[in-house]
Amino acid sequence: MYAWIWRNLPGPFATKLTVALLMVAAVLALLFFVVFPWAETRLPFNDVTAS
Amino acid sequence: MNSGADDDTVVLPVVRDGRQPQPHPRPRGRHAHRKPSRRAARSAAPALPGLRRPGEEDPEATDVITAVRAAPADPVRTALGVTGELLITMGVVVLLFVAYEVYVTDWLSAAKQDDATAALDRNWSDGEITAADPGNQRTEKFRPGDGEGFAKLYVPAFGSDFVFTVLEGTTDRILEIGPGHYKDTAFPGEPGNFSVAGHRVGKGAPFNDLDLLRSCDALVVETRESWVIYRVLPMPDEVAGWATGRGTDPRCAGVNPLGGRYAKVPGREIVLPSQSGVIAPVPGHPELSFDAVPPEEQAALITLTTCHPRFSAAKRMVLHGVFAKEYPKDPANPDARPPELAEG
Repeated sequence: MYAWIWRNLPGPFATKLTVALLMVAAVLALLFFVVFPWAETRLPFNDVTAS
Repeated sequence: MNSGADDDTVVLPVVRDGRQPQPHPRPRGRHAHRKPSRRAARSAAPALPGLRRPGEEDPEATDVITAVRAAPADPVRTALGVTGELLITMGVVVLLFVAYEVYVTDWLSAAKQDDATAALDRNWSDGEITAADPGNQRTEKFRPGDGEGFAKLYVPAFGSDFVFTVLEGTTDRILEIGPGHYKDTAFPGEPGNFSVAGHRVGKGAPFNDLDLLRSCDALVVETRESWVIYRVLPMPDEVAGWATGRGTDPRCAGVNPLGGRYAKVPGREIVLPSQSGVIAPVPGHPELSFDAVPPEEQAALITLTTCHPRFSAAKRMVLHGVFAKEYPKDPANPDARPPELAEG
């Protein structure tokens, strides 16, 4: 899968590397700012109140 | 395709020690007879049947590789490969989530806590309320809106830099900024139970180390008008010999096991999440109306709650402290600090 993505990236090695890093950064941003904040509200270990 | 590796095998021995590799090096050094060095092994390798130097290509193997490359993609092989990559990816995502919970939320919360503290400092220095307005005492002096900071909590036992702005309310959004005050519980210094919840893991983890606090450790709450000193109540196993044991510590002056209605309030307890009685005015007695308690028997307590065990929400760790002292702030000397803050 990752090999396929790499093969289909355009341009010479430097361009491929840049695009690949940008894609990794985009995925990380999506995880850290959207997916994880959403997921943690559904998980119980942040409950600290007694009620 | 293996040109890099070929270069290595050819060039390295020459460049590194300036000598030609010896075809059959004699063992050197005290380990040589047991375990030949890597280079010696490599140099000797061609003499052994069936072995090649690394990088040298086996003509048959090359043929096989070429054959595999040329063959049309095997769908089973491809599916397995993709499945494997996805599984590894999911594992990495889970690890990233752990890193997010434990570290990244700390950074995000630290920024929010700084903002809340700055807002509180501005609020205090604004001087909307003149100090010690008699008509403004006790019942009227705290009116924070939801999510608004109204006090600072210091725990000297956690270090002189341990201070968190306490906000009104205990929703998730508020607790990720800092410790949150249970609405409708008492405010600092008031009779009743000043109850605060805080995270134990991530989000600044203000209450990470509640398990380390000992009886009589100071819990210092700074408000606009005063410094309120609470001290952790005796632990259950200390109550029996308190007067001759732990109670003789100078810090414990004035701290005694509570009696009467408060007899079952320990310094620390582990309860179920449903046991909301721990934040009742008389902890453990949520059914008791505080107004029915004679004022001279009302205690001013502090209660801190967090999750327990760490990384779990199965139970709650609850810490109870009792009011020890209050220092009104002196407008002439606003930077004065109570001596309790220096306790290590």
